[in-house]
Amino acid sequence: MTGSGLVMELTLLEAAHLSDLVSQFEDLVTSHDGSDPAVRRLTPDAYADSEAAAEFRRLTEDDLLSRRAADAGVVRRSLQRDGRDLDADQLDRSAAEDILVVDLTPDAAGSWLRTLAALRLVLADRLGVTDEDQRGDGDTRFGVYEWIGYRLEMLVQALDS
Amino acid sequence: MSIASPEIDERTDLRASTSGPWQTVVWNDPVNLMSYVEHIFRQYFGFSRDKAHRLMLAVHHDGHAVVAEGSREQMELHAQAMHDYGLWATVREAGS
Repeated sequence: MTGSGLVMELTLLEAAHLSDLVSQFEDLVTSHDGSDPAVRRLTPDAYADSEAAAEFRRLTEDDLLSRRAADAGVVRRSLQRDGRDLDADQLDRSAAEDILVVDLTPDAAGSWLRTLAALRLVLADRLGVTDEDQRGDGDTRFGVYEWIGYRLEMLVQALDS
Repeated sequence: MSIASPEIDERTDLRASTSGPWQTVVWNDPVNLMSYVEHIFRQYFGFSRDKAHRLMLAVHHDGHAVVAEGSREQMELHAQAMHDYGLWATVREAGS
């Protein structure tokens, strides 16, 4: 912990993969593609009544997705090195395990919380997660899903302590 | 001093105001972590650790929990905030 916020440490390889996922997530939420089930999950019906739900969606959905994109931008930029996004393919093998220290202000920590949770929701949709005890059948994305969960858990613990 | 001018940039709602109160309900899902949900309840609503924990468990075991009651507008703001955090929240009239 520092005076203003908290510190996260990731290997450069982790940071590069996360940066790539977050960048894809930014594309997803700026697409405003309401037919994508993952986007629908991020903007769920707020009313059981379909007419009220549609009205609420009409008034709030674009703003919600814009806030999502802004949060994701905060996360991606906090993972940049020398002002550029990390690229896993460009990483020096010897540098992959180097530690990236991310200093998070309370506001940035909020962006991280919301974005990590949202990434899990999107991955869960792509993986067809319907049960909390589900384990992947060899889909490598399941490992990513669990890894983001681990990172989110660590962040929550740090914020609660 | 200013003269009264109509607020035309605000949405005018002609729906009859109902007696209320309204509720914000959070629903269980298989993805969000229990620790995360509890943290959001504490941080956003300012609930004590005990209350946040109890509500989180209610969501988990009963499938949903009422996390706030009040005006419809306020409940809609809460629902939007919950959606920002990836929780599935709905608004309903109390007793419905």
